[in-house]
Amino acid sequence: MVRLGRRAAGMAVLAGMVLTCVAARAQDADLARRGAYLEQAADCEVCHTKPGGIPFAGGRAFDLPGIGTIYAPNITPDHETGIGRYTDAQFDAAVRRGVAPGWRHLYPVMPYASYARMTEGDVRAIRAYLMTLRPVHAPAPANQVRFPYNIRVAMIGWNLLYRPSGPLADDPGRSAAWNRGRYLVDAAGHCGECHSPRNMLQALSVTKSYAGAPIDGWLAYNISSDVDSGIGAWSDPQLAAYLSTGHADGRGTAVGPMAEVVSHSLRYLTPEDIAAMVTYLRSLPARRSDETVGVVSPETLAQAGPNHSNGGRLFAGACAGCHLTDGHGRQVDFAALWGARSLGEIDGRNLVRTMVEGVTLQSAHGAMIMPAFGPEYRNQDLADIANYAIGHFGNRVGHVTAEDVAAARATVPPS
Amino acid sequence: MLTLQVNGAAHQVDVPDDMPLLWVLRDVLGLPGTKFGCGIGECGACTVHVDGKAVRACSLPASLVGDRPVTTIEGLAEDEVATEVTKAWLDIDVVQCGYCQPGQIMAAIALLKSNLHPSDDEIDQAMSGNICRCGTYRRIRAAIRNVAGAV
Repeated sequence: MVRLGRRAAGMAVLAGMVLTCVAARAQDADLARRGAYLEQAADCEVCHTKPGGIPFAGGRAFDLPGIGTIYAPNITPDHETGIGRYTDAQFDAAVRRGVAPGWRHLYPVMPYASYARMTEGDVRAIRAYLMTLRPVHAPAPANQVRFPYNIRVAMIGWNLLYRPSGPLADDPGRSAAWNRGRYLVDAAGHCGECHSPRNMLQALSVTKSYAGAPIDGWLAYNISSDVDSGIGAWSDPQLAAYLSTGHADGRGTAVGPMAEVVSHSLRYLTPEDIAAMVTYLRSLPARRSDETVGVVSPETLAQAGPNHSNGGRLFAGACAGCHLTDGHGRQVDFAALWGARSLGEIDGRNLVRTMVEGVTLQSAHGAMIMPAFGPEYRNQDLADIANYAIGHFGNRVGHVTAEDVAAARATVPPS
Repeated sequence: MLTLQVNGAAHQVDVPDDMPLLWVLRDVLGLPGTKFGCGIGECGACTVHVDGKAVRACSLPASLVGDRPVTTIEGLAEDEVATEVTKAWLDIDVVQCGYCQPGQIMAAIALLKSNLHPSDDEIDQAMSGNICRCGTYRRIRAAIRNVAGAV
């Protein structure tokens, strides 16, 4: 009897342990699942993957003019070359304070000044997710950073000046959606890292926040609420569609780095989170910038007769097959050009980059691809197409030259 | 499972969301009249009509077609404009090798249905995305003009 009782007690303890174990594992799985979503919102993958490389295994190069080249490290759980040995505290210090183990100060090309506003719990969840990935042995190439920027300790001073101390408390005067939107835009999504100009010390400008900035040869557009140069004239559905699919009728389609952001990050966010981002973006103070939006309606475009310029003829042959001259996409809405920002910029910076690089935008219906224009087109031909498109769709006089095209072509990695 | 309206009939097809319409037409529904050329919307050989408009079937995911009617060159036997276009093509022997011609003919029919008397400029604009390796462009333009006179 006693023996039986003991055995039963033993069984109960064992069952209890198993249950605790199962509960803990379920909790871990929940944390990792939450982390998977937050990783998408924070878009770690895009920067920590080199073109054509294994996701999260690092190696992507970031050229910082005047400073040098910095390589994104491997963030798979590999013990030697990844984050496998990081503790939660070490991971948090790297992501939110810019300090990797061994007091190695990171450069703000890693957007830790934005991530500093994420919560500790969210960053822990992201680590839990990353730890579920297959470890990949992939050392990042050594950074090539010029003096004095190679003195990592100098970042201590920068951090004192520009790194927020922690998450912002919710503003009780604003809606829950606005507060969530601010978290997604300012903290996790780190939108300002591309869309805000930087000051002389490479910190994000506060007075010109979200007024647009050049990045990596592209122009990240003004996304403040200014009506002429920002997104003040966009409707809520247009903003939501652009964020969640990369396209909004009358606003064009995301290309370049923004296509990557939509492909790997924004298209996975819930409709509620997208709506929250829209709510917050709407409230950004209006900042005027030089690039203004020129929208010509498809009805007006359809009235324009055939254009016999070199650019007009080449557009009809090489571009209209997908884009149509009235700006409606022929096959898919993603190819609808009318109202696209890039066609209102007279220097055609993003337009030319798009032509020489092509576009790949992932969607729920597979990859939407625009092929790049190869060497079969002369630099002057592409400049002529760009100037025709700027004139036709943007009602501006384009100033794109063959030299601009040559410069853009020089930046495209050979495929 | 997708339901596509092709040549007047509803077809249920079990295909991946990113499969282009062209693959569905040729390989799943067995309609090989529409040709594969470049696969990136640059040559026009795969032109079909979706809701009456000329589109490149190679660059349109089938899952984005929705309930818009699709017409291929096989589905135009009874169509008046198509019959006149066929006659006009035969009258002056437009075709050389013929590979691009289903696409050329579909583009020409879409143009003529929206504009029965197109100018040369309008013909060039509408047809410029359809490439012909044999260089039959002048005969294509002449045939389209002849249709405009015949209908």
